[in-house]
Amino acid sequence: MATESVIEISGLSKTYGSGSKQTLALNRLDLSVRRGEIFGYLGPNGAGKTTTIRLLLDLIRPSAGSASIFGMDIRADSVEIHRRIGFLPGELSLWEGRTGDQIIHYVASVRGDTRGIAKHADELAERLDLDKTKRVRDLSSGNKRKLGLVIAMMHSPELLILDEPTGGLDPLVQQTFHDMMEEYRAKGKTVFLSSHVLSEVQAICDRVGILRDGELKAVESVEKITNVEFNWVDVTFRDAVPAGLQQQLDNMPSITDVSTNGTRVRMRMIGDFDPLLRAISGGYVEMLHVEEPSLEEIFLAFYSGDEEKLQ
Amino acid sequence: MIGSVFLETLKTTWKQMVYWGVGLAAMALLVVIMVPLFNMQDMRKLLESFPPVILAMIGVGSELEIFATNEGFVAIGFFGKSALIFAVYPVVMGMRVTANEEDSGTMDVLLSLPVERARVVIEKFLAYGVSCIGVVLLIYLGLHLGVFLGGVELDVLRLAEVTFYLIPLMVFIMAATVLIAVLARRRTVALGIVTAFVIASYMLQTIGLAAEGTVAESIGVVSFLTYYNAGDILSQGFIWPHIAGFVLVSAVLVAASLYRYERRDIGV
Repeated sequence: MATESVIEISGLSKTYGSGSKQTLALNRLDLSVRRGEIFGYLGPNGAGKTTTIRLLLDLIRPSAGSASIFGMDIRADSVEIHRRIGFLPGELSLWEGRTGDQIIHYVASVRGDTRGIAKHADELAERLDLDKTKRVRDLSSGNKRKLGLVIAMMHSPELLILDEPTGGLDPLVQQTFHDMMEEYRAKGKTVFLSSHVLSEVQAICDRVGILRDGELKAVESVEKITNVEFNWVDVTFRDAVPAGLQQQLDNMPSITDVSTNGTRVRMRMIGDFDPLLRAISGGYVEMLHVEEPSLEEIFLAFYSGDEEKLQ
Repeated sequence: MIGSVFLETLKTTWKQMVYWGVGLAAMALLVVIMVPLFNMQDMRKLLESFPPVILAMIGVGSELEIFATNEGFVAIGFFGKSALIFAVYPVVMGMRVTANEEDSGTMDVLLSLPVERARVVIEKFLAYGVSCIGVVLLIYLGLHLGVFLGGVELDVLRLAEVTFYLIPLMVFIMAATVLIAVLARRRTVALGIVTAFVIASYMLQTIGLAAEGTVAESIGVVSFLTYYNAGDILSQGFIWPHIAGFVLVSAVLVAASLYRYERRDIGV
Protein backbone atom coordinates (compact mmCIF):
# COMPACT_ATOMS: atom_id res chain seq x y z
CA MET A 1 0.00 0.00 0.00
CA ALA A 2 2.88 2.33 0.87
CA THR A 3 4.31 2.23 -2.65
CA GLU A 4 1.03 2.43 -4.51
CA SER A 5 1.23 5.20 -7.11
CA VAL A 6 -1.28 7.99 -7.04
CA ILE A 7 0.23 9.86 -9.98
CA GLU A 8 1.84 7.90 -12.80
CA ILE A 9 3.35 9.84 -15.67
CA SER A 10 4.84 8.17 -18.71
CA GLY A 11 6.67 9.91 -21.55
CA LEU A 12 4.65 13.08 -21.10
CA SER A 13 5.67 15.87 -23.48
CA LYS A 14 4.26 19.26 -24.27
CA THR A 15 5.19 21.66 -27.02
CA TYR A 16 3.69 25.10 -27.48
CA GLY A 17 3.35 26.89 -30.80
CA SER A 18 4.09 25.46 -34.19
CA GLY A 19 6.73 25.60 -36.91
CA SER A 20 9.76 27.72 -36.13
CA LYS A 21 8.03 29.14 -33.02
CA GLN A 22 7.63 25.72 -31.45
CA THR A 23 8.81 25.51 -27.84
CA LEU A 24 9.36 22.27 -25.98
CA ALA A 25 8.04 22.92 -22.46
CA LEU A 26 8.18 19.35 -21.20
CA ASN A 27 10.23 16.53 -22.62
CA ARG A 28 9.26 12.86 -22.10
CA LEU A 29 8.56 13.10 -18.40
CA ASP A 30 8.43 9.84 -16.45
CA LEU A 31 7.40 10.21 -12.84
CA SER A 32 5.61 8.32 -10.13
CA VAL A 33 4.18 9.83 -6.95
CA ARG A 34 3.32 7.41 -4.17
CA ARG A 35 0.26 7.40 -1.98
CA GLY A 36 0.81 9.16 1.35
CA GLU A 37 3.88 11.15 0.38
CA ILE A 38 4.51 14.84 -0.01
CA PHE A 39 6.32 15.20 -3.29
CA GLY A 40 8.19 18.39 -4.03
CA TYR A 41 8.42 19.33 -7.67
CA LEU A 42 11.32 21.68 -7.98
CA GLY A 43 12.97 23.73 -10.61
CA PRO A 44 13.70 27.28 -11.68
CA ASN A 45 11.10 29.45 -13.37
CA GLY A 46 10.27 28.18 -16.84
CA ALA A 47 11.48 24.64 -16.07
CA GLY A 48 8.07 23.12 -16.85
CA LYS A 49 6.55 22.73 -13.37
CA THR A 50 3.33 24.58 -14.11
CA THR A 51 3.05 22.88 -17.50
CA THR A 52 3.19 19.49 -15.77
CA ILE A 53 0.53 20.53 -13.28
CA ARG A 54 -1.77 21.93 -15.98
CA LEU A 55 -1.35 18.71 -17.96
CA LEU A 56 -2.29 16.65 -14.90
CA LEU A 57 -5.41 18.79 -14.47
CA ASP A 58 -6.36 18.37 -18.14
CA LEU A 59 -6.24 22.12 -18.65
CA ILE A 60 -3.78 21.61 -21.48
CA ARG A 61 -3.33 18.54 -23.65
CA PRO A 62 -0.11 16.57 -24.00
CA SER A 63 1.79 16.48 -27.28
CA ALA A 64 2.89 12.94 -26.42
CA GLY A 65 2.78 10.46 -23.57
CA SER A 66 0.16 9.77 -20.96
CA ALA A 67 -0.56 10.16 -17.28
CA SER A 68 -2.95 8.72 -14.76
CA ILE A 69 -4.16 9.77 -11.33
CA PHE A 70 -5.69 7.16 -9.01
CA GLY A 71 -5.23 4.75 -11.95
CA MET A 72 -7.54 6.81 -14.14
CA ASP A 73 -6.57 8.53 -17.36
CA ILE A 74 -6.15 12.29 -16.89
CA ARG A 75 -8.11 13.04 -20.06
CA ALA A 76 -10.84 10.43 -20.20
CA ASP A 77 -11.60 10.49 -16.47
CA SER A 78 -10.83 14.11 -15.65
CA VAL A 79 -14.16 14.82 -13.95
CA GLU A 80 -13.87 11.84 -11.60
CA ILE A 81 -10.24 12.71 -10.88
CA HIS A 82 -11.12 16.35 -10.15
CA ARG A 83 -13.72 15.16 -7.65
CA ARG A 84 -10.90 13.63 -5.59
CA ILE A 85 -8.23 16.31 -5.88
CA GLY A 86 -7.70 19.85 -4.69
CA PHE A 87 -5.76 22.38 -6.73
CA LEU A 88 -4.07 25.68 -6.02
CA PRO A 89 -2.69 27.45 -9.11
CA GLY A 90 0.61 29.30 -8.96
CA GLU A 91 -0.91 32.49 -10.28
CA LEU A 92 -4.22 32.35 -8.49
CA SER A 93 -7.06 34.31 -10.05
CA LEU A 94 -10.45 34.37 -8.39
CA TRP A 95 -13.68 36.16 -9.20
CA GLU A 96 -12.80 39.69 -8.09
CA GLY A 97 -16.30 40.95 -7.33
CA ARG A 98 -17.29 37.98 -5.15
CA THR A 99 -16.60 37.53 -1.46
CA GLY A 100 -14.67 34.59 -0.07
CA ASP A 101 -17.89 33.10 1.27
CA GLN A 102 -19.60 33.40 -2.13
CA ILE A 103 -16.70 31.76 -3.92
CA ILE A 104 -16.53 28.96 -1.38
CA HIS A 105 -20.25 28.38 -1.80
CA TYR A 106 -19.92 28.40 -5.59
CA VAL A 107 -17.05 25.92 -5.62
CA ALA A 108 -18.85 23.73 -3.08
CA SER A 109 -22.02 23.75 -5.17
CA VAL A 110 -20.08 22.68 -8.27
CA ARG A 111 -18.64 19.89 -6.14
CA GLY A 112 -22.20 19.00 -5.16
CA ASP A 113 -21.96 19.36 -1.40
CA THR A 114 -22.48 22.80 0.02
CA ARG A 115 -23.15 21.98 3.65
CA GLY A 116 -20.31 19.60 4.54
CA ILE A 117 -17.70 21.43 2.52
CA ALA A 118 -18.69 24.85 3.84
CA LYS A 119 -18.29 23.62 7.42
CA HIS A 120 -14.77 22.39 6.75
CA ALA A 121 -14.04 25.63 4.86
CA ASP A 122 -14.97 27.57 8.00
CA GLU A 123 -12.49 25.53 10.04
CA LEU A 124 -9.72 26.02 7.49
CA ALA A 125 -10.40 29.75 7.20
CA GLU A 126 -10.22 30.10 10.95
CA ARG A 127 -6.93 28.24 11.09
CA LEU A 128 -5.46 30.36 8.33
CA ASP A 129 -6.92 33.54 9.83
CA LEU A 130 -8.85 34.40 6.69
CA ASP A 131 -11.72 36.88 6.56
CA LYS A 132 -14.12 35.24 4.09
CA THR A 133 -16.57 38.12 4.12
CA LYS A 134 -14.31 40.41 2.07
CA ARG A 135 -14.49 40.69 -1.69
CA VAL A 136 -11.54 39.17 -3.50
CA ARG A 137 -10.57 42.56 -4.93
CA ASP A 138 -10.16 43.83 -1.36
CA LEU A 139 -7.90 40.97 -0.27
CA SER A 140 -4.12 41.20 -0.14
CA SER A 141 -2.17 38.69 -2.23
CA GLY A 142 -1.45 36.66 0.90
CA ASN A 143 -5.12 36.51 1.84
CA LYS A 144 -6.05 35.53 -1.71
CA ARG A 145 -3.56 32.71 -1.38
CA LYS A 146 -5.23 31.64 1.88
CA LEU A 147 -8.61 31.62 0.14
CA GLY A 148 -7.06 29.53 -2.61
CA LEU A 149 -5.80 27.05 -0.03
CA VAL A 150 -9.24 26.86 1.59
CA ILE A 151 -10.83 26.15 -1.81
CA ALA A 152 -8.23 23.51 -2.57
CA MET A 153 -8.56 21.74 0.77
CA MET A 154 -12.16 22.26 1.90
CA HIS A 155 -13.45 18.96 0.50
CA SER A 156 -10.61 16.98 2.12
CA PRO A 157 -9.23 15.68 -1.18
CA GLU A 158 -7.15 12.53 -1.44
CA LEU A 159 -4.58 14.39 -3.52
CA LEU A 160 -3.53 18.01 -3.30
CA ILE A 161 -1.82 19.61 -6.27
CA LEU A 162 -0.29 22.90 -5.19
CA ASP A 163 1.68 25.24 -7.41
CA GLU A 164 3.96 27.43 -5.27
CA PRO A 165 1.54 27.25 -2.34
CA THR A 166 3.18 29.60 0.15
CA GLY A 167 4.09 32.51 -2.10
CA GLY A 168 2.92 35.70 -0.38
CA LEU A 169 2.04 34.02 2.93
CA ASP A 170 3.55 35.43 6.10
CA PRO A 171 5.85 33.15 8.14
CA LEU A 172 3.21 32.31 10.74
CA VAL A 173 0.72 31.20 8.12
CA GLN A 174 3.47 29.30 6.32
CA GLN A 175 4.04 27.37 9.53
CA THR A 176 0.30 26.65 9.79
CA PHE A 177 0.40 25.45 6.20
CA HIS A 178 3.33 23.16 6.99
CA ASP A 179 1.38 21.74 9.95
CA MET A 180 -1.59 21.12 7.67
CA MET A 181 0.63 19.23 5.25
CA GLU A 182 1.95 17.09 8.09
CA GLU A 183 -1.63 16.27 9.03
CA TYR A 184 -2.38 15.38 5.44
CA ARG A 185 0.53 12.98 5.36
CA ALA A 186 -0.54 11.48 8.68
CA LYS A 187 -3.95 10.75 7.17
CA GLY A 188 -2.31 8.89 4.28
CA LYS A 189 -3.16 11.56 1.74
CA THR A 190 -0.85 12.70 -1.02
CA VAL A 191 0.51 16.13 -1.84
CA PHE A 192 2.21 17.15 -5.06
CA LEU A 193 3.64 20.61 -4.70
CA SER A 194 5.87 22.74 -6.82
CA SER A 195 8.24 25.12 -5.15
CA HIS A 196 11.51 26.89 -5.48
CA VAL A 197 11.88 27.52 -1.75
CA LEU A 198 14.40 25.09 -0.33
CA SER A 199 13.44 25.54 3.33
CA GLU A 200 9.82 24.71 2.51
CA VAL A 201 10.81 21.59 0.64
CA GLN A 202 13.10 20.54 3.47
CA ALA A 203 10.37 21.13 6.02
CA ILE A 204 7.57 19.14 4.48
CA CYS A 205 8.58 16.99 1.51
CA ASP A 206 9.51 13.31 1.49
CA ARG A 207 10.89 13.19 -2.03
CA VAL A 208 11.69 15.76 -4.64
CA GLY A 209 11.83 15.76 -8.40
CA ILE A 210 14.15 18.28 -10.00
CA LEU A 211 13.08 19.68 -13.31
CA ARG A 212 15.23 21.74 -15.60
CA ASP A 213 14.57 22.94 -19.13
CA GLY A 214 11.55 20.67 -19.36
CA GLU A 215 13.44 17.56 -18.36
CA LEU A 216 13.31 15.68 -15.09
CA LYS A 217 16.92 15.52 -13.93
CA ALA A 218 16.45 13.53 -10.77
CA VAL A 219 14.07 12.18 -8.21
CA GLU A 220 15.65 11.90 -4.78
CA SER A 221 14.75 11.84 -1.15
CA VAL A 222 14.89 15.22 0.56
CA GLU A 223 17.64 14.02 2.88
CA LYS A 224 19.90 13.15 -0.02
CA ILE A 225 19.38 16.40 -1.84
CA THR A 226 19.80 18.57 1.21
CA ASN A 227 22.95 16.74 2.32
CA VAL A 228 24.80 18.90 -0.13
CA GLU A 229 23.35 21.99 1.43
CA PHE A 230 25.64 24.96 1.78
CA ASN A 231 25.18 28.59 2.64
CA TRP A 232 26.46 31.84 1.27
CA VAL A 233 28.00 33.83 4.10
CA ASP A 234 28.68 37.56 3.97
CA VAL A 235 30.89 39.09 6.65
CA THR A 236 31.17 42.87 6.82
CA PHE A 237 33.94 44.30 8.98
CA ARG A 238 33.72 47.76 10.48
CA ASP A 239 37.34 48.52 9.61
CA ALA A 240 39.60 46.64 7.22
CA VAL A 241 39.47 42.89 6.57
CA PRO A 242 41.87 41.33 9.11
CA ALA A 243 45.29 40.54 7.72
CA GLY A 244 45.77 36.90 6.89
CA LEU A 245 42.05 36.12 6.85
CA GLN A 246 42.05 35.31 3.17
CA GLN A 247 44.77 32.70 3.64
CA GLN A 248 43.00 31.25 6.68
CA LEU A 249 39.79 30.87 4.73
CA ASP A 250 41.61 29.34 1.76
CA ASN A 251 42.94 26.66 4.08
CA MET A 252 39.51 25.73 5.41
CA PRO A 253 38.03 22.78 3.44
CA SER A 254 34.45 23.79 4.30
CA ILE A 255 34.85 27.22 2.69
CA THR A 256 35.13 27.94 -1.01
CA ASP A 257 34.54 30.73 -3.50
CA VAL A 258 35.89 33.47 -1.26
CA SER A 259 35.68 36.99 -2.64
CA THR A 260 36.51 40.32 -1.02
CA ASN A 261 34.94 43.66 -1.77
CA GLY A 262 36.25 46.44 0.44
CA THR A 263 35.42 45.50 4.02
CA ARG A 264 33.05 42.75 2.91
CA VAL A 265 34.01 39.09 2.45
CA ARG A 266 31.67 36.62 0.76
CA MET A 267 32.13 32.86 0.78
CA ARG A 268 30.38 29.57 0.28
CA MET A 269 30.34 27.42 3.40
CA ILE A 270 29.17 23.97 4.43
CA GLY A 271 29.07 22.43 7.88
CA ASP A 272 29.51 24.11 11.25
CA PHE A 273 30.00 27.82 11.73
CA ASP A 274 32.52 27.56 14.55
CA PRO A 275 35.71 27.44 12.42
CA LEU A 276 34.56 30.50 10.50
CA LEU A 277 33.66 32.41 13.66
CA ARG A 278 37.09 31.71 15.08
CA ALA A 279 38.73 32.85 11.83
CA ILE A 280 36.93 36.18 11.70
CA SER A 281 37.29 36.95 15.40
CA GLY A 282 40.44 39.02 14.68
CA GLY A 283 38.33 41.85 13.30
CA TYR A 284 35.31 43.85 14.41
CA VAL A 285 32.36 42.16 12.67
CA GLU A 286 29.72 44.72 11.83
CA MET A 287 27.37 42.38 10.03
CA LEU A 288 27.07 38.63 9.42
CA HIS A 289 24.59 37.56 6.82
CA VAL A 290 23.79 33.96 5.93
CA GLU A 291 21.95 33.29 2.70
CA GLU A 292 20.27 30.04 1.75
CA PRO A 293 21.42 28.74 -1.64
CA SER A 294 18.92 28.63 -4.44
CA LEU A 295 17.65 25.26 -5.53
CA GLU A 296 19.47 25.79 -8.80
CA GLU A 297 22.74 26.06 -6.86
CA ILE A 298 21.93 22.99 -4.80
CA PHE A 299 21.07 21.18 -7.95
CA LEU A 300 24.30 22.22 -9.66
CA ALA A 301 26.30 21.24 -6.61
CA PHE A 302 24.58 17.86 -6.47
CA TYR A 303 24.94 16.99 -10.11
CA SER A 304 28.16 18.68 -11.13
CA GLY A 305 30.38 16.45 -9.03
CA ASP A 306 30.68 18.93 -6.20
CA GLU A 307 28.86 16.58 -3.91
CA GLU A 308 31.95 14.68 -2.89
CA LYS A 309 33.95 17.87 -2.60
CA LEU A 310 31.34 19.35 -0.33
CA GLN A 311 31.03 16.24 1.79
CA MET B 1 -23.95 19.77 -9.30
CA ILE B 2 -25.85 20.41 -12.51
CA GLY B 3 -27.01 24.02 -12.76
CA SER B 4 -24.49 25.46 -10.32
CA VAL B 5 -22.50 27.26 -13.03
CA PHE B 6 -25.78 28.48 -14.55
CA LEU B 7 -27.01 29.88 -11.23
CA GLU B 8 -23.68 31.49 -10.36
CA THR B 9 -23.54 33.10 -13.80
CA LEU B 10 -27.03 34.51 -13.33
CA LYS B 11 -26.10 35.80 -9.88
CA THR B 12 -23.08 37.64 -11.23
CA THR B 13 -24.88 38.99 -14.31
CA TRP B 14 -28.24 40.26 -13.15
CA LYS B 15 -26.96 43.74 -12.32
CA GLN B 16 -25.45 44.22 -15.79
CA MET B 17 -28.68 42.87 -17.26
CA VAL B 18 -30.67 45.48 -15.35
CA TYR B 19 -28.28 48.32 -16.28
CA TRP B 20 -28.38 47.41 -19.97
CA GLY B 21 -32.11 46.72 -19.92
CA VAL B 22 -32.93 50.01 -18.20
CA GLY B 23 -30.66 51.92 -20.57
CA LEU B 24 -32.22 50.42 -23.68
CA ALA B 25 -35.71 50.75 -22.17
CA ALA B 26 -35.02 54.46 -21.62
CA MET B 27 -34.09 54.78 -25.30
CA ALA B 28 -37.32 53.00 -26.27
CA LEU B 29 -39.29 55.22 -23.94
CA LEU B 30 -37.74 58.32 -25.48
CA VAL B 31 -38.63 57.24 -29.02
CA VAL B 32 -42.23 56.51 -27.96
CA ILE B 33 -42.58 59.88 -26.25
CA MET B 34 -41.29 61.56 -29.42
CA VAL B 35 -44.05 60.02 -31.60
CA PRO B 36 -46.60 62.88 -31.13
CA LEU B 37 -43.99 65.39 -32.23
CA PHE B 38 -44.06 64.02 -35.76
CA ASN B 39 -46.77 64.14 -38.41
CA MET B 40 -46.35 60.74 -39.97
CA GLN B 41 -47.68 61.75 -43.39
CA ASP B 42 -45.29 64.71 -43.57
CA MET B 43 -42.56 62.36 -42.47
CA ARG B 44 -43.45 59.98 -45.26
CA LYS B 45 -43.28 62.75 -47.87
CA LEU B 46 -39.92 63.84 -46.51
CA LEU B 47 -38.56 60.32 -46.62
CA GLU B 48 -39.84 59.77 -50.16
CA SER B 49 -37.56 62.58 -51.24
CA PHE B 50 -34.51 60.73 -49.87
CA PRO B 51 -32.41 58.47 -52.11
CA PRO B 52 -32.60 54.74 -51.20
CA VAL B 53 -29.05 54.69 -49.87
CA ILE B 54 -29.88 57.32 -47.25
CA LEU B 55 -33.06 55.48 -46.30
CA ALA B 56 -31.07 52.29 -45.96
CA MET B 57 -28.54 54.00 -43.75
CA ILE B 58 -31.23 55.18 -41.35
CA GLY B 59 -32.78 51.71 -41.38
CA VAL B 60 -35.97 52.47 -43.30
CA GLY B 61 -35.49 50.54 -46.52
CA SER B 62 -38.60 50.49 -48.66
CA GLU B 63 -41.13 50.28 -45.80
CA LEU B 64 -42.41 53.83 -46.14
CA GLU B 65 -46.04 52.74 -45.69
CA ILE B 66 -45.22 51.15 -42.39
CA PHE B 67 -43.06 54.02 -41.32
CA ALA B 68 -46.01 56.37 -41.68
CA THR B 69 -47.72 54.77 -38.67
CA ASN B 70 -46.90 55.35 -35.01
CA GLU B 71 -45.92 51.68 -34.56
CA GLY B 72 -43.79 51.82 -37.71
CA PHE B 73 -42.03 54.95 -36.51
CA VAL B 74 -41.08 53.22 -33.26
CA ALA B 75 -40.26 49.90 -34.97
CA ILE B 76 -37.92 51.43 -37.48
CA GLY B 77 -36.83 54.49 -35.51
CA PHE B 78 -35.82 52.46 -32.48
CA PHE B 79 -35.48 48.76 -33.35
CA GLY B 80 -34.29 49.25 -36.93
CA LYS B 81 -31.84 52.00 -36.14
CA SER B 82 -30.43 50.49 -32.97
CA ALA B 83 -29.38 47.12 -34.38
CA LEU B 84 -25.71 47.80 -33.62
CA ILE B 85 -26.52 48.81 -30.05
CA PHE B 86 -28.51 45.61 -29.53
CA ALA B 87 -25.45 43.68 -30.73
CA VAL B 88 -23.20 45.04 -27.98
CA TYR B 89 -24.86 43.26 -25.05
CA PRO B 90 -24.69 39.72 -26.51
CA VAL B 91 -21.09 40.37 -27.59
CA VAL B 92 -20.18 41.39 -24.04
CA MET B 93 -21.94 38.31 -22.63
CA GLY B 94 -20.52 36.00 -25.30
CA MET B 95 -17.00 37.09 -24.35
CA ARG B 96 -17.75 36.09 -20.79
CA VAL B 97 -18.54 32.48 -21.65
CA THR B 98 -14.89 31.52 -22.11
CA ALA B 99 -12.62 34.39 -23.15
CA ASN B 100 -12.86 36.63 -20.08
CA GLU B 101 -12.41 33.76 -17.62
CA GLU B 102 -9.50 32.35 -19.58
CA ASP B 103 -7.81 35.72 -19.77
CA SER B 104 -8.26 36.40 -16.06
CA GLY B 105 -7.23 32.86 -15.07
CA THR B 106 -10.42 31.95 -13.20
CA MET B 107 -11.16 29.28 -15.80
CA ASP B 108 -8.23 27.26 -14.40
CA VAL B 109 -9.91 27.20 -10.99
CA LEU B 110 -13.32 26.37 -12.45
CA LEU B 111 -12.08 23.56 -14.69
CA SER B 112 -10.07 22.01 -11.86
CA LEU B 113 -13.45 21.20 -10.29
CA PRO B 114 -15.47 18.12 -11.28
CA VAL B 115 -17.18 19.76 -14.22
CA GLU B 116 -16.90 19.10 -17.96
CA ARG B 117 -15.79 21.90 -20.23
CA ALA B 118 -18.95 21.43 -22.30
CA ARG B 119 -21.12 21.84 -19.21
CA VAL B 120 -19.39 25.10 -18.29
CA VAL B 121 -19.93 26.49 -21.80
CA ILE B 122 -23.56 25.34 -22.04
CA GLU B 123 -24.60 26.50 -18.56
CA LYS B 124 -22.95 29.89 -19.01
CA PHE B 125 -24.44 30.27 -22.48
CA LEU B 126 -27.90 29.48 -21.16
CA ALA B 127 -27.52 31.90 -18.26
CA TYR B 128 -26.43 34.71 -20.54
CA GLY B 129 -29.26 33.75 -22.90
CA VAL B 130 -31.68 34.23 -19.99
CA SER B 131 -30.10 37.61 -19.29
CA CYS B 132 -30.69 38.58 -22.95
CA ILE B 133 -34.37 37.72 -22.45
CA GLY B 134 -34.34 39.91 -19.34
CA VAL B 135 -32.94 42.83 -21.32
CA VAL B 136 -35.60 42.38 -24.02
CA LEU B 137 -38.38 42.25 -21.41
CA LEU B 138 -37.13 45.50 -19.92
CA ILE B 139 -37.11 47.10 -23.38
CA TYR B 140 -40.72 46.00 -23.86
CA LEU B 141 -41.53 47.47 -20.45
CA GLY B 142 -39.92 50.72 -21.62
CA LEU B 143 -42.33 50.86 -24.58
CA HIS B 144 -45.30 50.43 -22.24
CA LEU B 145 -43.95 53.05 -19.89
CA GLY B 146 -43.49 55.47 -22.82
CA VAL B 147 -47.12 55.01 -23.81
CA PHE B 148 -48.23 55.50 -20.21
CA LEU B 149 -46.10 58.58 -19.53
CA GLY B 150 -46.50 60.23 -22.94
CA GLY B 151 -50.14 59.36 -23.47
CA VAL B 152 -49.14 58.17 -26.94
CA GLU B 153 -51.55 56.35 -29.18
CA LEU B 154 -49.57 53.24 -29.86
CA ASP B 155 -50.49 49.58 -30.20
CA VAL B 156 -47.68 48.14 -28.08
CA LEU B 157 -48.90 44.59 -28.65
CA ARG B 158 -48.07 45.03 -32.35
CA LEU B 159 -44.54 45.95 -31.30
CA ALA B 160 -44.23 42.84 -29.13
CA GLU B 161 -43.17 40.76 -32.11
CA VAL B 162 -40.50 43.26 -33.15
CA THR B 163 -39.28 43.37 -29.55
CA PHE B 164 -39.18 39.66 -28.85
CA TYR B 165 -37.66 38.98 -32.25
CA LEU B 166 -34.55 40.49 -30.65
CA ILE B 167 -34.09 37.34 -28.58
CA PRO B 168 -33.06 34.98 -31.42
CA LEU B 169 -30.96 37.80 -32.90
CA MET B 170 -29.09 38.34 -29.62
CA VAL B 171 -28.67 34.61 -29.05
CA PHE B 172 -27.19 34.29 -32.53
CA ILE B 173 -24.72 37.14 -31.91
CA MET B 174 -23.75 35.58 -28.60
CA ALA B 175 -23.23 32.17 -30.20
CA ALA B 176 -21.05 33.73 -32.92
CA THR B 177 -19.05 35.56 -30.25
CA VAL B 178 -18.53 32.36 -28.25
CA LEU B 179 -17.20 30.52 -31.31
CA ILE B 180 -14.89 33.37 -32.29
CA ALA B 181 -13.60 33.59 -28.71
CA VAL B 182 -13.00 29.83 -28.58
CA LEU B 183 -11.12 29.93 -31.88
CA ALA B 184 -9.18 33.14 -31.25
CA ARG B 185 -8.28 32.26 -27.62
CA ARG B 186 -7.13 35.78 -26.73
CA ARG B 187 -9.86 38.11 -25.52
CA THR B 188 -8.59 41.19 -27.34
CA VAL B 189 -8.19 39.32 -30.63
CA ALA B 190 -11.66 37.79 -30.28
CA LEU B 191 -13.20 41.16 -29.50
CA GLY B 192 -11.58 42.69 -32.57
CA ILE B 193 -12.85 39.92 -34.83
CA VAL B 194 -16.39 40.04 -33.40
CA THR B 195 -16.53 43.82 -33.78
CA ALA B 196 -15.37 43.54 -37.39
CA PHE B 197 -17.96 40.80 -38.00
CA VAL B 198 -20.85 42.90 -36.64
CA ILE B 199 -19.81 46.10 -38.43
CA ALA B 200 -19.23 44.23 -41.71
CA SER B 201 -22.69 42.65 -41.36
CA TYR B 202 -24.21 46.09 -40.77
CA MET B 203 -22.47 47.48 -43.86
CA LEU B 204 -23.50 44.55 -46.03
CA GLN B 205 -27.10 44.92 -44.86
CA THR B 206 -27.00 48.64 -45.66
CA ILE B 207 -25.55 47.99 -49.13
CA GLY B 208 -28.17 45.31 -49.75
CA LEU B 209 -31.01 47.64 -48.76
CA ALA B 210 -29.59 50.59 -50.71
CA ALA B 211 -29.22 48.50 -53.83
CA GLU B 212 -32.71 47.01 -53.70
CA GLY B 213 -33.78 45.74 -57.09
CA THR B 214 -30.22 45.42 -58.36
CA VAL B 215 -27.67 42.58 -58.37
CA ALA B 216 -25.96 44.13 -55.36
CA GLU B 217 -29.10 43.49 -53.30
CA SER B 218 -27.96 39.88 -52.89
CA ILE B 219 -24.96 41.09 -50.86
CA GLY B 220 -27.34 41.75 -48.00
CA VAL B 221 -28.25 38.06 -47.85
CA VAL B 222 -24.98 37.23 -46.10
CA SER B 223 -25.61 39.75 -43.33
CA PHE B 224 -27.41 38.34 -40.29
CA LEU B 225 -28.98 41.76 -39.70
CA THR B 226 -30.95 41.35 -42.93
CA TYR B 227 -32.99 38.73 -41.08
CA TYR B 228 -33.94 41.21 -38.40
CA ASN B 229 -35.90 43.79 -40.37
CA ALA B 230 -38.21 45.74 -38.08
CA GLY B 231 -40.46 46.86 -40.93
CA ASP B 232 -40.90 43.32 -42.28
CA ILE B 233 -41.63 41.96 -38.80
CA LEU B 234 -44.20 44.66 -38.15
CA SER B 235 -46.00 43.93 -41.40
CA GLN B 236 -45.61 40.12 -41.43
CA GLY B 237 -45.33 39.21 -37.76
CA PHE B 238 -42.83 36.55 -36.69
CA ILE B 239 -41.00 35.36 -39.78
CA TRP B 240 -40.59 31.79 -38.64
CA PRO B 241 -38.08 30.64 -41.27
CA HIS B 242 -35.78 33.47 -40.19
CA ILE B 243 -36.25 32.64 -36.51
CA ALA B 244 -35.60 28.97 -37.21
CA GLY B 245 -32.52 30.02 -39.15
CA PHE B 246 -31.20 32.03 -36.20
CA VAL B 247 -31.87 29.14 -33.80
CA LEU B 248 -30.34 26.54 -36.09
CA VAL B 249 -27.23 28.55 -36.90
CA SER B 250 -26.82 29.42 -33.21
CA ALA B 251 -27.00 25.72 -32.33
CA VAL B 252 -24.39 24.91 -34.97
CA LEU B 253 -22.11 27.70 -33.70
CA VAL B 254 -22.43 26.50 -30.10
CA ALA B 255 -21.80 22.89 -31.17
CA ALA B 256 -18.70 23.99 -33.09
CA SER B 257 -17.55 25.94 -30.01
CA LEU B 258 -17.98 22.88 -27.79
CA TYR B 259 -16.11 20.68 -30.27
CA ARG B 260 -13.16 23.04 -30.44
CA TYR B 261 -13.13 23.96 -26.76
CA GLU B 262 -13.08 20.31 -25.76
CA ARG B 263 -9.93 19.77 -27.78
CA ARG B 264 -7.80 22.80 -27.18
CA ASP B 265 -5.57 24.04 -24.36
CA ILE B 266 -7.06 26.40 -21.83
CA GLY B 267 -5.63 29.86 -21.42
CA VAL B 268 -2.43 29.44 -23.41
